[in-house]
Amino acid sequence: MEFIKKLQDLDRRWIYLIVALAIVIPLLIPFNAPTYTTSPTEKLYQMIDSYSEREDRAILICFAHDASTMAELYPMEVAILRHCFERDVKVFTLTFLPTAAPLINYAIDMVKEEYPEIQSGTNYINIGYKPGALYLPIVVGMGDNIAEAVETDAEGRKLESLPMMKGLTNYNELKLVIETSGASFAGGWITYARARYGVNVAAGVTAVMAADAYPYLQTGQLTGMLSGMKGAAEYEYLTDVFAAYSSDDYPNGRPFSKQVLKDKEEISKIDIAKKYDPETKTGIMYKWKTARLGMNAQSVAHMMIFIFILIGNIGFFIDRHQQNKEKK
Amino acid sequence: MKKQIPLLIVIVLSFLFALWAVIPHKVSEDFFQGYLVFARAMSPFGVILGLMSITMVNVTKIKRKAPTWQYSYVTLISLYLTAAIGFIWGTSEGSPYIWIFKNIQMPMSATMFSLLAFYISTAAYKAFRARSAEATVLLVAAIIVMLGQVPYGVMISPKIPAFAQWILDVPNLASKRGFGLGVGLAMTAVSLKIMLGIERSYLGGGD
Amino acid sequence: MFEIISNLIAAFFTLAIFSFLYKDNPMYRLAEQLLVGISVGYGIPLTWQNAFIPFVYQPIFIQHKWYLIIPCLFGLMYVVRFSRSLSWLARYPIAIGMGMTGAGVVLSMNAGVLVQMRSAMQPIDNINMLLIFIGTVTVLLYFYFSKAHTGFYGKITKVGVWFMMIGFGASFGNTVMARISLLIGRIQFLVYDVIMGFIK
Repeated sequence: MEFIKKLQDLDRRWIYLIVALAIVIPLLIPFNAPTYTTSPTEKLYQMIDSYSEREDRAILICFAHDASTMAELYPMEVAILRHCFERDVKVFTLTFLPTAAPLINYAIDMVKEEYPEIQSGTNYINIGYKPGALYLPIVVGMGDNIAEAVETDAEGRKLESLPMMKGLTNYNELKLVIETSGASFAGGWITYARARYGVNVAAGVTAVMAADAYPYLQTGQLTGMLSGMKGAAEYEYLTDVFAAYSSDDYPNGRPFSKQVLKDKEEISKIDIAKKYDPETKTGIMYKWKTARLGMNAQSVAHMMIFIFILIGNIGFFIDRHQQNKEKK
Repeated sequence: MKKQIPLLIVIVLSFLFALWAVIPHKVSEDFFQGYLVFARAMSPFGVILGLMSITMVNVTKIKRKAPTWQYSYVTLISLYLTAAIGFIWGTSEGSPYIWIFKNIQMPMSATMFSLLAFYISTAAYKAFRARSAEATVLLVAAIIVMLGQVPYGVMISPKIPAFAQWILDVPNLASKRGFGLGVGLAMTAVSLKIMLGIERSYLGGGD
Repeated sequence: MFEIISNLIAAFFTLAIFSFLYKDNPMYRLAEQLLVGISVGYGIPLTWQNAFIPFVYQPIFIQHKWYLIIPCLFGLMYVVRFSRSLSWLARYPIAIGMGMTGAGVVLSMNAGVLVQMRSAMQPIDNINMLLIFIGTVTVLLYFYFSKAHTGFYGKITKVGVWFMMIGFGASFGNTVMARISLLIGRIQFLVYDVIMGFIK
């Protein structure tokens, strides 16, 4: 009893230390934990995958966050870009925040390192930073003409002069917009671009906001959603299982299948605990499994918080019981 | 007149845009394209306003020797130095401008928010109590969702993630839809008030 | 070597912010102000390069579209916002920006209200649809304050409160995950980039 009561008055700095250890230890000792994919992630993956090798289809990733929420959103962006580059899906990147502009470059450069054939202007166009005042004019303007609405890419080249624009005019071809944000779940895109032009909108959100987006998932206003680090881990996993898969039957990745996800033998081939060997090219590179390794630490941290809540409440009930006794 | 003319611009433009939203005609598209050119040319100047605001606040702080005024020098020097470095050495990858962003701004910005992990853990330990029936429901829902999201939750029981997903898909959806409808109607009402010139606080005070 | 030094500097600023956990200190305050200054300063050259040059300088001075001087003059009116006698001029660029509100009335009514209502009124063919219907209606009734929450009506609104509590719980559960994720991100940087990089 006394021990539990003492625990209640534990200095907050001890709690901070326990939190730090609960995260550091699982990161130092990686282990394989199951990644279960959810429907909003699968839907987004399938939609992007359906545009594979199509000249007249493209997606847009709008980076609507700065470094503060990078831990949750950046692995998503990397995983989506990797999927696009693996499966030859044309992709635009754009931001209305100056502090997000370098994040786009980092994400593209990080993924491109492993895909030397991917070219700026041919396989992807980084529109880069456009001032916030142009948010609505661009969101709406792309419904008429993408090249006219944004004019230039991040390198100052006219969009209409770039080879990737062949076959791409407006939202009839740019079929999917994904906004990664820590402040909204693609609200502007849903209100303006989807309502007026019917473009598919998906969101990569920080977990804080994920619960608020469910009504929009049910109505179909959001085609798919990646929710925080878990969403990123799910997407990394799907990319590994399907897009990065290679065999004689499927040299450039295989199509999405629920059956494969349920196949224990297939799943056991995805090993995140094993270190990547650059010589034999076996194992999974760290940059492709950042979120999944993070989810290992997340597991331990959530259990720790669960125990915190439990101890706190046991102490609370003991306290209340004693107070009631004293009153009697 | 100082207020009336801007108000008139808002009212006229709002009605034109309301028509544009519902009439997909060449005239309305041309009107939008014209607005686009206008908005694009105006867009860079908003930054000057932000710059003036932060400079004036900090200069005033230094002049008045307000508490912690010394740190205002840090804000001003880092602001203008970063901008100057960007203009002198360019903004391309590998420039000092990007180095500052990557090695100073980015780590600090990311760390600032990560402090909240410690605070939320302390709150879970010291404040998250089942004081009433309602608080207990909140607590149980939170624990199930928390455990349902992580691999350990699946290892304890595969039913936990399924139950967590059901909470998100059904009762959570219902409550968030209730909020959303309220917020949506309120936003429409505010927009209508702006459109009709009833709400004018965005124009600032004075005559 | 350069990368190691860069990472050590990034680690130093990371720890400077973390030092606040022990107590408020000059190192933290310095880092905090540096963050504000660099964040704002960072946007200026980018706006110049990505907005001023392509949307103002090139069209006016190279393509000679002189009519664009008019929106530029409107844009410059922002600058007089802090002048007592001329601040009223800043209302013009604000008014032009607010003009798009009209489109918002129509489109946000559609996206935020009508589509949501349509989904809330689907045929109730299973228990989940019934629960969603009951939850939505009771939460909406809870926020209707023109009638006192007593008697039978009070009981209905109480159901709304239960739904809201579950919704808040779900949000809290997710918030825990979000906050922990951000810390994981920083520790991944310190462990994998700084410490491992240094060992290599």
